[in-house]
Amino acid sequence: MSQIQERGSTHVYKVNKISREEMESMVARCVYEQPPFCSAACPLKLDVRAMLKAAADGNFKKALQLYEKIAPFPLILSQGCEAPCEGKCRLNEVGDGLAIREIERAVARYGEQFRLGSVFRTSKRHKTAVFGSGLFALLLAGELEKKAYPVTVFCEEADPEAYLRKAAPFLDESAFALELRRLKGKEIRFVCGCRLNAAFYEQQKPAFDVLCASDEVRARLFPDSVPVPELMICEAERLVSGPTEGVLGAAFGAKKAALTVDRLAQKLDPRNTRGQEGATDSALYTDLSEAKVLCRVAVPAGGYTKEQAIEEAGRCIQCHCEECLKSCAYLKHYKKHPGLLAREIYNNTQIIMGDHQLNKPMNACSLCGQCTVVCPNGFDMARVCHLARQNMVSTDKMPLAPHEFALLDMLFSNGDAFLARPQPGFASCRYVFFPGCQAAAIAPETVRAAYEDLCARLPGGVALMLGCCGAIADWAGRMEMAQQAHEFLDRELARLGDPIVIAGCPSCAKELREHGVKELRGIWDVLEEIGLPEGVHKLERPMALHDSCGARGDAATQASIRRLAASLGVRLTDTPYSGDRSPCCGYGGLAAYANPEVAGEMTEQCLERSDAPYISYCMACRDRFARKGRESKHILELCYGTDAGAPPDISEKRRNRLQLKRSLLQELWLEEPMERKLPYTLNWTDEAREMMDRRMILTEDVIAVLNGFRETGEAILEGESGLLVARRRLGNATFWIKFSREGENIYTVHRAWSHRMNVVKREG
Amino acid sequence: MAAEKNYYTIDPEGKLTCLKCGVPLVKGKAKFMYLDNGFPVELPVCPVCGFVYVPEELALGKVASVERALEDK
Repeated sequence: MSQIQERGSTHVYKVNKISREEMESMVARCVYEQPPFCSAACPLKLDVRAMLKAAADGNFKKALQLYEKIAPFPLILSQGCEAPCEGKCRLNEVGDGLAIREIERAVARYGEQFRLGSVFRTSKRHKTAVFGSGLFALLLAGELEKKAYPVTVFCEEADPEAYLRKAAPFLDESAFALELRRLKGKEIRFVCGCRLNAAFYEQQKPAFDVLCASDEVRARLFPDSVPVPELMICEAERLVSGPTEGVLGAAFGAKKAALTVDRLAQKLDPRNTRGQEGATDSALYTDLSEAKVLCRVAVPAGGYTKEQAIEEAGRCIQCHCEECLKSCAYLKHYKKHPGLLAREIYNNTQIIMGDHQLNKPMNACSLCGQCTVVCPNGFDMARVCHLARQNMVSTDKMPLAPHEFALLDMLFSNGDAFLARPQPGFASCRYVFFPGCQAAAIAPETVRAAYEDLCARLPGGVALMLGCCGAIADWAGRMEMAQQAHEFLDRELARLGDPIVIAGCPSCAKELREHGVKELRGIWDVLEEIGLPEGVHKLERPMALHDSCGARGDAATQASIRRLAASLGVRLTDTPYSGDRSPCCGYGGLAAYANPEVAGEMTEQCLERSDAPYISYCMACRDRFARKGRESKHILELCYGTDAGAPPDISEKRRNRLQLKRSLLQELWLEEPMERKLPYTLNWTDEAREMMDRRMILTEDVIAVLNGFRETGEAILEGESGLLVARRRLGNATFWIKFSREGENIYTVHRAWSHRMNVVKREG
Repeated sequence: MAAEKNYYTIDPEGKLTCLKCGVPLVKGKAKFMYLDNGFPVELPVCPVCGFVYVPEELALGKVASVERALEDK
């Protein structure tokens, strides 16, 4: 049997780094983490989306908590803010944008009753002082108090009430009363009635670590000082201050100034690690079809009632991009947006010692490319996972176990089951039919019917090639093996005189084209050209077409299949996610081998789209849908009136390929194939058959174990059941069978299992 | 000298016989090897020919989970 070298050791300490720049450029395409447009427009970075969600849920307490994160005085900000967020609301494009500021006002009013009084906090040790009054000074004092600095305000006003009145003269009386209560509740020490001149300033200065002032006081104390607006500091005087404009401007200025205070308190350059400040742009994608209520709730004179605020906030469509998550079962399974998952998979490839916890997700992607089509930015998860697999293989860190069965199957297709012959009677042929490994495994009669039809109707001769295109190794990230498969096929094609390849499978077509086969057509194209075979039954029934992921981006093939289906009388029912948006059936990328659970979810997602029977043009899709109990046909079965029947198990898939090869050799090429007959009778219990399929144990494996037993006589007799147990190491696994024996030549297999670890007797 | 650590122990309790040697299997020393890692265990072993028996439950349980853990190293 064929064998693949297992990696030698877990103790491999090398990495072959994927360039971080390349990965970052791939990750950056995911806009999931981009802020919504309203938040991006807010220089204070209010989480508008979350606040509106809380308000829509009637949770004004939580909404106010979110608002207070950016507003030490919520009523002042909500009454005076210029609200650039509203202009950026995406609902403006389809109707009225949200009345965000009105909702903020309602949040500030109705959330107030739930507000907790100040709890005990540990103060920072750096003392701060704010000289002067006005909105900027008030808000800065509020910001510093929020950051737990001890704050002292020196002002000329007689008391905090007058101070607040001067800062926010626009507040109505009820709002003023609330904000005054809030101000008095804050841990801000007021020193009122001061004369704020240079002498006073110098006198107070030594008692504080950081000094701040209103712009007015700054100009009075240091007429020549030059504030740096982005830092709100006069560097020569080390005085935190600067001019601001408007309510939002004052709030933003206070925020920048408070950050500068932080840096000064830490004895750092105020320019140090400030992060991104102020309003930004957003590249977030929003599906505006989710907008249901387009008209704004009218604002009464006194502002929204609670109910009105809830209704208006409920219009928010919570801008977010989940286009790929909506359509991809793989991303849904891991509940992660692809930017995050890609970053984690990238990190997985960089681990030198320790667990590669992302191996499973990395190997579960079907590499189908659907995300790239549905993503507004063309995010390519397939490339991320495929690159990561190649990287793990090249550093000898890729486990063989998830892909070994499929890789051995490829070697089988291009070994024992491989066949390449010119059409009988032709020395060289114009065409070669390449049905693909799964077609021969699942529907051998259909392959045979198609081949005989092509031979009969195409001039110039049609050769046959039964084998694997190499996609299996390619998907596994084992590029050397894939290249060997391609070179093998190249040699065999050359031996046939390099005929035009007629592919029976879109994934083979794609794989072969990408690896240098120049002249290639799909059998669907050929059938369209020469017409359906004679005597084909017209179906006149509705079916759902599942586009193969191998044909993604191949509009010509998709259209050709539709015309072919129409000429067969099939009424195709439209499903969302068809054409280029079609999901993978779960076979692609070897997902079905590496992660049967996720692959099963992929299949179910495909079948959720329609209740109709499914028609597909990839045999793997046909097989996976049938396995889930859905009536499922490959388009060639309809063209040739064949029925591949119930899905074969893994051993039957191999046997089908061998039998197809043998019967064709015998009947078309009149060659007597070598056939191996067992010198004994082998039976199975139903339980054993089901178990073997689930555990990926082939009939061939069981026969090899039994042959070993017959040669050596080595087995264990189980006292209680009277059954025998034999084992044999085959390649990288040890296979065990539990069986009964009647006489010397009749065996019935009851159970089978395997493990990859090797077990040996230990001396001592 | 301290006893060598065993990761897993199964006693055949006289229920298993080696077909070839015709003797009952005994609890004996064995070792699982995988990807350059070794794990000493005690499994049913034929005292004559050294056949080591790995029961189905062990293969699909503990052995499979250790395999998976090592594969991701």
